[in-house]
Amino acid sequence: MSPTDFSWEPAFIVLAVVAAVAYAWSTPPRGWRLASFAAGLFLVAAPLNSPMETIAAHRLLLIHLVQNALIADIAPLLILIGLTPAMKAWLERHGARRIRARWAILAWLVAWYGTHLAGFYNWALDTGWALNIEHAILIAGGLLFWWPLAAGRLEAPAALAYLGAAFVASSFLGLAFIFSSHPFYSFYERAPRLWGFSATRDQNLGGIAMNGEQTFVFLAAIGYYVSRLLTEDER
Amino acid sequence: VFALGLAATVAALVGPMDRWADTHLAVHMLQHVIIGDAAIAVLVFALRGPLLVFLLPAPVLVRVARARSFFSLLLRPRVAFALWAANLGIWHVPYLYDLALRHDTVHYLEHACWVAAGLLVWTLLIDPGGHRRLTVGGRIALAAAMFACGQVLTDVLVFGFHPLYPAYPRLTDQKLAGVVMMAEQLLTLGTLAFVLLRPRMRASRLVAA
Repeated sequence: MSPTDFSWEPAFIVLAVVAAVAYAWSTPPRGWRLASFAAGLFLVAAPLNSPMETIAAHRLLLIHLVQNALIADIAPLLILIGLTPAMKAWLERHGARRIRARWAILAWLVAWYGTHLAGFYNWALDTGWALNIEHAILIAGGLLFWWPLAAGRLEAPAALAYLGAAFVASSFLGLAFIFSSHPFYSFYERAPRLWGFSATRDQNLGGIAMNGEQTFVFLAAIGYYVSRLLTEDER
Repeated sequence: VFALGLAATVAALVGPMDRWADTHLAVHMLQHVIIGDAAIAVLVFALRGPLLVFLLPAPVLVRVARARSFFSLLLRPRVAFALWAANLGIWHVPYLYDLALRHDTVHYLEHACWVAAGLLVWTLLIDPGGHRRLTVGGRIALAAAMFACGQVLTDVLVFGFHPLYPAYPRLTDQKLAGVVMMAEQLLTLGTLAFVLLRPRMRASRLVAA
């Protein structure tokens, strides 16, 4: 299979379409909220239904980890930022109220580390269809993690503690990839190489991409809450 | 606590750590973050309140008082942070790092710069004299800015595929140095953030209840 061929995980196109229809049905806002929601859906659907999926599922761990970072960290955040207060209130009334920050962070970490365990990862790649499960877990974990912040449940100090704890706790996976001197996943050891990366270098680069993305996202979120803290102080 | 800070500084500069620092970048980094950050934080913390007045002998205090406007300028948050960040960046330029390794005088100057820059920012962060140059939010912002700056350097060291410093040719050593810096910053700045934010988190919980 050529790296430029398209591969599909149609379940996520369907999910994105359903979410878009639901959003449109409930008097959507215009402007940045709409743009954020649309960008979030695009970042769920596009990485999983494009040549990126082909390379991730058949060639390079680097691209698979970038894909995971996009669907687990950035897309859920953008989707939740795109919700209006009325939509969030509706979700709170229909079950989201039960999501507690301490359980959300735990669930996110379990999803983050659990899906990257060698046994699970190799199984998902070997079977192909199980990649849907891996990606669904990551997206669900991301939505759970960002919900307490997006719903405005946490005051700035608590939000900073939440983000700080998540940043530290999640960084070990990326560091493990960066420092590794042998490939963790037998699937990528056997996979045909692309762009001249060895399996180990591919893994190291994947860790760098993952860590870089998380640093950027978390520092941006921390910066936002620090600015809110400063505003509170001024009052 | 003051003795702990002093002991950490001495241990970092004298003894086995100083010898290992010649051959291991990670140990050299540990040495720098101890003398320029962790130990300084402990020392400044130990001097909070009235103790601060008795730290320096009266004649020295008089001289310090004369240069008050100069120190006030240095302790403006933006000035202190700029100096700290510049110090962090400049001394990690490979040419200067190498120069410091080859010339003792430059090395002493480098260490003095770490201590001075660390004193400036930690004086603002801990505010031992109760001057309130920064609000709690401002102190958290300064800590976050320091962490972000440190993270840039960490990323350069950890993400690099080539050794930056000729005296330290092992790549794993360089990556470890980055991790040492990140871990130390998380420990010191994270502790500070926790201590500063905890009362507010409690207050929020009480309001919610």
